[in-house]
Amino acid sequence: MPSSEHDRGGAALLEIRDLTVRYGGVVANDGVNLAIDRGEVVGLIGPNGAGKTSLVDAVTGFTAADGEVVLDGRRLDRLPPHRRRRAGLARTWQAGELFADLTVADNVAVAVQRRGWAGLVADVLGRSARTAPDPSLEMLGLLDDADRRPDELSLGRQRLVGVARALAGGSSVVLLDEPAAGLDTDESEAFGDVVRTMATSGRGVLLIDHDMNLVLNVCDRVYVLDFGRVIACGTPTEIRADAAVVAAYLGEEPVA
Amino acid sequence: MDQLVLFVTLGFAVGAVYAVIASSLVAVHAATGVLNFAQGSIALWGVWVAAELGATGTLILPIGSVQIADGPAPTTVAVAIGVASSALVALLTHLLVMRPLRSAPALSQVVASVGVMLLIVSLVPLRFDTTGAVAAPILPSGTIEVLGAQVAVADLIVLGLALTVAVLLAAYFRFTRWGTATRASAEDETALRLTGWSPDRLAALVWFTTGAATGLVAVVGSPSIGLDPISYTFYVLPGLAAALIARLRSVLVAAAAGLAIGVFQSLLMMMSTYDFWPVWAQAGFGETVPFLIVMVALFVFGRSIPERGGVQTLRMPPVRPPRTRPVYALVVVAATVAAILLTEGSWRFGVVTSIIMMLIALSLVVLTGYLGQISLAAMAFAGTGGFVLSRVTTEYGVPFPLSLVLPALAATVLGVIVGIPALRIRGAHLAVVTLAGALAIQTFVFGNPAFTPYEGNLIEDPTLFGLDLGVRSGTVLTTTSFALMVLVVVGTLTWATARLMRGRTGRSFLAIRSNERAAASVGIDVAGTKLLGFAFSAFLAGIGGCLIGYSRGQLSVESFTVFVGLTLLCTVYVAGITSLAGAVVAGLLAPLGVLATFLEGTLGVGHLYSLIAAIALVVTAVLNPVGITGSVRQASEHLIHRRTTRAQL
Amino acid sequence: MSVLELKGVTAGYGHAAAVRDLDLSVKAGEVVALLGPNGAGKTTVLRTAVGLLQPTSGEVRVFGRRLGRRVEKNARAGVVLVPDTRAIFHQLTVRENLSLARRRGDLDIDAVLDRLPRLAPLVNRRVGLLSGGEQQMLALAKALLARPRVLLVDELSLGLAPLAVQELLPIVRALADEAWTGVLLVEQHVDLALATADRAVVLHHGRTALSGTAAELRADREAVRKAYFGDHEEDELVLAEDGAPLHA
Repeated sequence: MPSSEHDRGGAALLEIRDLTVRYGGVVANDGVNLAIDRGEVVGLIGPNGAGKTSLVDAVTGFTAADGEVVLDGRRLDRLPPHRRRRAGLARTWQAGELFADLTVADNVAVAVQRRGWAGLVADVLGRSARTAPDPSLEMLGLLDDADRRPDELSLGRQRLVGVARALAGGSSVVLLDEPAAGLDTDESEAFGDVVRTMATSGRGVLLIDHDMNLVLNVCDRVYVLDFGRVIACGTPTEIRADAAVVAAYLGEEPVA
Repeated sequence: MDQLVLFVTLGFAVGAVYAVIASSLVAVHAATGVLNFAQGSIALWGVWVAAELGATGTLILPIGSVQIADGPAPTTVAVAIGVASSALVALLTHLLVMRPLRSAPALSQVVASVGVMLLIVSLVPLRFDTTGAVAAPILPSGTIEVLGAQVAVADLIVLGLALTVAVLLAAYFRFTRWGTATRASAEDETALRLTGWSPDRLAALVWFTTGAATGLVAVVGSPSIGLDPISYTFYVLPGLAAALIARLRSVLVAAAAGLAIGVFQSLLMMMSTYDFWPVWAQAGFGETVPFLIVMVALFVFGRSIPERGGVQTLRMPPVRPPRTRPVYALVVVAATVAAILLTEGSWRFGVVTSIIMMLIALSLVVLTGYLGQISLAAMAFAGTGGFVLSRVTTEYGVPFPLSLVLPALAATVLGVIVGIPALRIRGAHLAVVTLAGALAIQTFVFGNPAFTPYEGNLIEDPTLFGLDLGVRSGTVLTTTSFALMVLVVVGTLTWATARLMRGRTGRSFLAIRSNERAAASVGIDVAGTKLLGFAFSAFLAGIGGCLIGYSRGQLSVESFTVFVGLTLLCTVYVAGITSLAGAVVAGLLAPLGVLATFLEGTLGVGHLYSLIAAIALVVTAVLNPVGITGSVRQASEHLIHRRTTRAQL
Repeated sequence: MSVLELKGVTAGYGHAAAVRDLDLSVKAGEVVALLGPNGAGKTTVLRTAVGLLQPTSGEVRVFGRRLGRRVEKNARAGVVLVPDTRAIFHQLTVRENLSLARRRGDLDIDAVLDRLPRLAPLVNRRVGLLSGGEQQMLALAKALLARPRVLLVDELSLGLAPLAVQELLPIVRALADEAWTGVLLVEQHVDLALATADRAVVLHHGRTALSGTAAELRADREAVRKAYFGDHEEDELVLAEDGAPLHA
């Protein structure tokens, strides 16, 4: 079994320490430790119901949890979700959850704009809210669709809009919850390149997906979750060879 | 002591009606996920049917009538038919209105049940002779002595009936398979269908039964409560308060809470006869009790009140943010100026009222259409503006236009207070809070002699740089200068609102409307933005209220009743609640606006106005949720689409 | 005779088809495992087979007749789905849940509890308080009470320890063997599924990628592994260089 400890000098960009999530009597995450470095793509895999999404919900503040979430040395675990996002910790959603009434450009712009009273005053007295499109739109090749609404796009492109929204405003860590679900093989491969590009600017990426090809080809390191616990962590090569991982997916190999 | 007992028992009859409404609301919610705002109106119809039969032997139907007996019908027949009519109204509400809307957004469901409520309440004065009608006694008139007080036997029987209904309903849910299945449907309708049950049939049974039960208690209680063309309708509010205390889960708790509210209101009435009781709390305090209860219950229980699972919810009607079309704006302004200059008398008054109402309608478009928060209180915010205007002009001599801003800020504060529950709740529950708040403001502030002098709230005419902007001048009903002032104020605010809706604020609003979780995940402060929306919306409504005040010269409760507010909501929804154009059309259709003037002055059918509005609302909610402007736009988009595809061929 | 037959079924949500032109049949007394990675369209097949989802083209036949649109009628006729959400009611007790599933003249609750002895002491407990395994057991008990002629099971093992699943699958098997029910089983634990089923179909992007008897698929485990971990040539090389074979 590969080592689940990775001794790296200094603190990682995002550190999740001893995170535990309980729903009623069910423990969805049990003492999870996970770290993402600058410029690193980290995979998170595990069978259905292993607690992957609940981990993302907890880290981004959508589920109450015990444990620490530290971004660049700053504790975020007491903040509400929108403040965590403003601190640079972004996520996507499994079901997309795009804003159906906003254009693609606005879906992204709403994430970076001035808000509240300042936004209100700027709206009435200031210049138009149309600003240069966020760089993430160009990076994901969405400029041509900027004025369309999400429901006019294919599922694959809708996924990309969700990713662009999470990248907008230069977020330092993005958690991608099954961004490739529903993509065909070609789209999925192209998406892998996009994920690598995201990390080149020093951003940390957590990629959750069922597409093993994608995860194992793209990630620097991979964590495996089963029954809410990290059962393995290592390079893709190590993970492929890990008996516990195979067992978690295919069931125990019958004794021959 | 005996006085205490007396007042406690005096609260029994009304408390019994609250109780049966509360337990019915819980039952209907369990079966369909709907909060039925029309439950009180369902009782109202049954009460009047029974009263008319008891008096003249005529069975009044919504259209036409049947002579059942020569002279007064026997009491049992009158009661039975009254109860049956309540049950039928409830069943029809389910089959024709609520069932087609079962997967519609909460807004459509709320609006539709408010529509049914208004429909019945506007039908009653048209179909029944409501002047001087008295409900014939149904129950024995004797009294018995309890703890030294003479207590009416009839009140005790009504109380017993309401409690029996609650116990039977609870037993149905607890011990029968059908009742169990109904509880299961509250949790997950799809799972219930997979188990082989039809949630629709279970729901129909509950609607029918609770309609009959509500009708029975109300009819039997009516001789001691009294006949009234409206009040039963608003008994739904204490009922809702009680149902929320029971967290929409327990029929028995709901009934007990309803009864307690009735008794508590009766005790408040007793307190108000004492010298130590402050004058300001003598009127309308009882009506604020449900509001306070609703606020507290929702704030404490908020998230633990069940929302219905397993039903796929359709999206709210789509929003297309306003585009900059100076041409359109100029055309509308020019047409309005022409309408002002070319009309006089009541027609010009109608035009001016329409312009003002457009502003209040706009406040609903912002809050409900864009931000997705259902508010039934817009007219109460407007009223707050108007009443503060009266104070600041007559007592402090605040000059125009500051006299518009200060009252609007007061309305803003109130808007934020009513909006605070929106941080924890949404959908129909929020509608309950805002309706309760509106009723509390109406009775406690506008209708309270301590705040509102008997001669009405006078308002000084506005002047600007020595220019008289007053609404009347000699025999002229509405001066041109006043009308143009209104147009300038409303036009400016509309322009500002359009910029907001097109800008960052509109984007945040729409993001929250379509998905609160996702909005938070992109860094939007959902709570702060919602309060901003309530504040801005109340500000607009407050300015609208001030303008109404100026246009009347004095104000009374009647200008801003909850009914006017609900009727306005009807017109906004019918016109299209998601667009600026919808607000403009709503202004034309609004109470006392151009359409109302036409119905009243030209056709002479002004008394049908609220009935027409209610029918239009129900039909729109069921068949055309995007409203008039929405369907016009869809049609034009369809046309453009066809033209462009044809051009490509 | 086929109790369930899908002919050229295309179905999905919005404009995305999750299942494309699929043919599939299940005979009476047969257990068919439906396998494939997430998003392959397995759940869509089950939802279509019970009438929760209407196919955009093709047809679903049950006992040779076209499937109706009303799910509750289909359920009463014996087409029973145990969805991955389990279709149980957490606010009700175990007994109440079972009483809803029982049809007049059917098996009584005690007979089913005999088969699932672990549920028996829990009958008066609220379902929300049960463990995941017990809830799944209840879901299955509910399905048994409905006396299904076609049983559709989605991810029996979801969130359960393999041991718990090994307790449940034999019950499904027995239903096919004794009551002659046709079973379509969606399962992510491939080995468990293949140990129970007679035949298996592997879906990929909504189409049949592989099908055969359970014995054939058990023998060709590599083919199944590919469907889950991908089938890139390089992967094999990496494995070989590491000298760490996937399964010892």
